[in-house]
Amino acid sequence: MNRGAKVPAPHRAGAAITAFRRAAGPYLLLAAPILFLLTVVVYPLVYAVDLSLQYYRVGGFAGLHNYTLAFQDSLLGESLRATLVYAGLAMAVEIALGLALAVAVQRTIRSVAGRTLVYLLFVVPMVTPPVAAGVIFRLMYIPQYGILNFLFHDLGYRGNPILWMSSPKMAMFSVLSVDVWQWMPFVFLVLFAGLQAVPPDVTEAAQVDGAGGWVRFRAIEIPYLKPLLLLVLVFRFTDTLRVFDHVQVLTMGGPGAATEFLSLYLYKIAFKFSNLNYAAALAIYVVIIVSIVFSLTSRYLTEETT
Amino acid sequence: MPGAARAGRPWMSPRAARRMVLAGLSVLAVVYLFPFFWMVSTSLKSNAELYAQPPTLWPVHPRLDAYTAALVGAGHWTLLRNSLLICLSTVALTVTLALLIAYPLTRLAVPPRVRRGILSWLLSLRFLPSMVVVIPIFATVRAVGLYDRLLALIFIYSAFSLPFAVWMLKGFLLEVPAEVEEAALVDGASRWRAFFRILLPMLSPGLLAAGVITFALAWSEFLYALILTATPRSQTFSIGVWSYVTEFEIIWNQMAAMGVVSALIPVGLLMIARRYVVSALTFGAVREKA
Repeated sequence: MNRGAKVPAPHRAGAAITAFRRAAGPYLLLAAPILFLLTVVVYPLVYAVDLSLQYYRVGGFAGLHNYTLAFQDSLLGESLRATLVYAGLAMAVEIALGLALAVAVQRTIRSVAGRTLVYLLFVVPMVTPPVAAGVIFRLMYIPQYGILNFLFHDLGYRGNPILWMSSPKMAMFSVLSVDVWQWMPFVFLVLFAGLQAVPPDVTEAAQVDGAGGWVRFRAIEIPYLKPLLLLVLVFRFTDTLRVFDHVQVLTMGGPGAATEFLSLYLYKIAFKFSNLNYAAALAIYVVIIVSIVFSLTSRYLTEETT
Repeated sequence: MPGAARAGRPWMSPRAARRMVLAGLSVLAVVYLFPFFWMVSTSLKSNAELYAQPPTLWPVHPRLDAYTAALVGAGHWTLLRNSLLICLSTVALTVTLALLIAYPLTRLAVPPRVRRGILSWLLSLRFLPSMVVVIPIFATVRAVGLYDRLLALIFIYSAFSLPFAVWMLKGFLLEVPAEVEEAALVDGASRWRAFFRILLPMLSPGLLAAGVITFALAWSEFLYALILTATPRSQTFSIGVWSYVTEFEIIWNQMAAMGVVSALIPVGLLMIARRYVVSALTFGAVREKA
């Protein structure tokens, strides 16, 4: 206080205001968007917890009733199994194909024009709306008009027409094919970009030492791609867990429950049976699973957040 | 060692390998382009031609009837208008809010812990399945009277575009050297002036890319629109595309026409921002050069 008296008062107040503005400024800017996100995203999640703790229809505090219900729900079990089959197959095929393609293109296509062409070919399906992708494939799979069965006929297939969307196995194949068609390019483009980070002299040195293609793949390319492979795995896993749009266009979860993946099952519970309480409990389970996956992997997903 | 002797010689000559890859890519090109071709071809057919056996590969008398029938006849142009309104508003709101986050995080004195916390929180939102959020949002939106309103979708699309938009703009902001702004500040410009006159113009490629990708994501969205809208007053174009699926007898050429319009807009737009697509979808973990 005493020492402060030496400084002319107005100046001191001005300095304090400047200091305050410097410290508070960032938070004043951040306040609006953060508040917005809290309202639109976080509040509903809190509300979901509230919903999940109430009885369906009659209301009132239900404790963990809706959460334990899940363990007796055999349809949920079926849905989970279908989801895991879908996620597993989609990820396996997409990563195997995408990785092979990335390495093959990296090694054989050198011209800029060639690479641009490949890039364009694979960016298009990724930006196609999933609903439109569903339409595209429905037009090929439908029994009456679908071109595929005619193509098979021309190629010499004489068996019964293939029921692409109405036999359980083929329905699973059909929805999977759309996923692979749309998202294998994502895996390819990410890994291909990753391969650009391999220093050319490392590859050259390996070649001089007589390393063949497979050795280069195992000893150089895979180690360089490891972080991106993890990224692709996490992104594809969380995305296949939420798959909905193109399934809704192709099979609507059918036949029976053959393609009734988690999101479609939740949709049925929440909006066809109007049981928001049970659906909210299931939603909270999903949030917990996704949070665990995220917290275990987030630090490897992006470069340090500078 | 037999392996060592073999290692130096590739098992396939480079030329043969190249040919194999090119053959594989050609097959993939067909797998990727034929479905699009088939949709466009179907959309140009007359109703009668749809029932031709076997189906015709090229439309015999290409016509735009299916487009006019779907957009004008069935009235789906209102959904197109809704979608455009929603997407443009979403872009404006998202880019503004994203700048409000990205600017202080990269330019002002924010403790590293806060910065990391906000960025990783935003990243985590990307992994939240829409179906999980929409269940309570549905109840909330009904309660506040925003059910079947464009505004509800604009808010939700903006919130869920924010994470990648912030990450993207953060990347662009870090590429503009701080000295540029500091020079302006030394010259007596206020922070506002330095921001609007100096920084914003330099950021315009980033703003354009973030805007285009936000637009495309909002345009493609289906689940929230399915649950939060009920009438053509607020339904989006994706719902219009989907509505054909639920009909008893599907009119294939109109459904195809809707699919073409639905795909054409984001594909066309993203040709502008194609260099940033993968980078945006991976939150900057991947930098492209294509």
